[in-house]
Amino acid sequence: MLCFTLLAAGCSTKQVVVEGNFPKPLLDPLPITLGVIYPSAFADHEFFDEAKGRADSDWLVKTGEAQVEFWDILFDGMFDEVVHIRDWETVQRRAPEIDGVLIPAIGDLQYTIPTHTNVKIYEIWMRYEFRLVDIAAIHQQEDGALSFNPDERLADWPITAYGKTPTAFLQTDEEAVNLAAVVALRDAGANFVTSFGATPDVAVWLDGIARREQDAARSSNDQAGDPQPVVDSAEASPAEGEADSGEAL
Amino acid sequence: MSGQRIDRQTAHTAGLILLAVLLGGCVNATVDEMTYNEPVAGIGESSVVILGRRHKPDYDTEFDFIECIGDHIHSGDPSIEVINEIAFINQFYPWFEPRTAPLQPQTIDRLLQLPPVAARFDEMKLEYMIWIDGNTENTESTGSMSCGIGPGVAGCFGFGTWGTESEYEATIWDFTDQVEVGRVSAQTSGQNYMPAVVVPIPIIAPVQGTACDSLGDQLLEYLSAFH
Repeated sequence: MLCFTLLAAGCSTKQVVVEGNFPKPLLDPLPITLGVIYPSAFADHEFFDEAKGRADSDWLVKTGEAQVEFWDILFDGMFDEVVHIRDWETVQRRAPEIDGVLIPAIGDLQYTIPTHTNVKIYEIWMRYEFRLVDIAAIHQQEDGALSFNPDERLADWPITAYGKTPTAFLQTDEEAVNLAAVVALRDAGANFVTSFGATPDVAVWLDGIARREQDAARSSNDQAGDPQPVVDSAEASPAEGEADSGEAL
Repeated sequence: MSGQRIDRQTAHTAGLILLAVLLGGCVNATVDEMTYNEPVAGIGESSVVILGRRHKPDYDTEFDFIECIGDHIHSGDPSIEVINEIAFINQFYPWFEPRTAPLQPQTIDRLLQLPPVAARFDEMKLEYMIWIDGNTENTESTGSMSCGIGPGVAGCFGFGTWGTESEYEATIWDFTDQVEVGRVSAQTSGQNYMPAVVVPIPIIAPVQGTACDSLGDQLLEYLSAFH
């Protein structure tokens, strides 16, 4: 019976649904209305690692729910207004006020546990790909799903995140991996906050928004002459129903 | 013949247990202190935060160790307000994460340029920020123990021993003047024993607890007007 239990334990799947309490960032929000699209691969993200040997277990780490919860809190604290874009109707209705649309994706996730490394630390490493696109780059596919043209992006940059937690008395592998994932998420947020404005293409985009706001303020103060265009000609919205040859979200 | 062997084994184990009991709880501690500008009248209504360093790749300073030091200081002088570490890190997210936490007191200035951060520090009346770097680790282990289970009977027999070492350094930053005003370090080590005659009896040396008391005493002496 004991042998059977040990054998069964060796073959079982260890599952972690990442959970944590995430704090609101202490920031002055940027005066930006940001659209956010969480692709289904991001919102339902999970990581599966098959056991390498009889002594190992399969691992299934579900991070999707925690990702959405964490990034929602971070974006809400970082930007004046956040618009969740889930359908074409939102795109059409909110397009004039949205300064840009952020689309996060998880490029890679790796983990180690003490049985893999003989080091008493559980680690999670993640690489995100953030894409910033103009609202005009978002299209509707024939099946109603949203897509965007990758060539129309304003910025595209990676963010790496790392979380570790040491072994602790009476702590299960699952609890430790969850804790490491929460630390990694927090690290991702810290990296995002500190690198956002320093990313060259993002800095250009932020400068453009600041310039437009200054121009708009100046023209409203002058109350004379022709008003400056609020949207550059290069950023003008394409005609609705444009070919849906973009990247599905 | 076999009865004599069992008697000898039992006497041997009893001797080991006695030795373990005598040695158990023995911890060696070394404390070094170097502090300046001691607040002779105490810190008044200001507060102190104690934070663990967690940016090194191979270890994290334990959250419960930081809590232990905070409790030690507050119980030694209840007038000293020690801010809870986790609450502090969450309130200042993302500025005290392993990636972003200031490593030098001079870099606090950069944080204070962020208006919401400066406002929150003002609310807290923070006077001292104490960084603790280090951890507790188990070292070499020896001995052997075998356990068995049979119909109606189970038990272990043998003896195991392992060492534990703690090494911590506390760096005190004067938050108002943004300078380092002292360093206190504690190194402790001890031996743990686990004799087993049917039931294993762990005799654990309070290595981390001694490090907490040693470091806590020195910090209390620095911060409190009554010590």
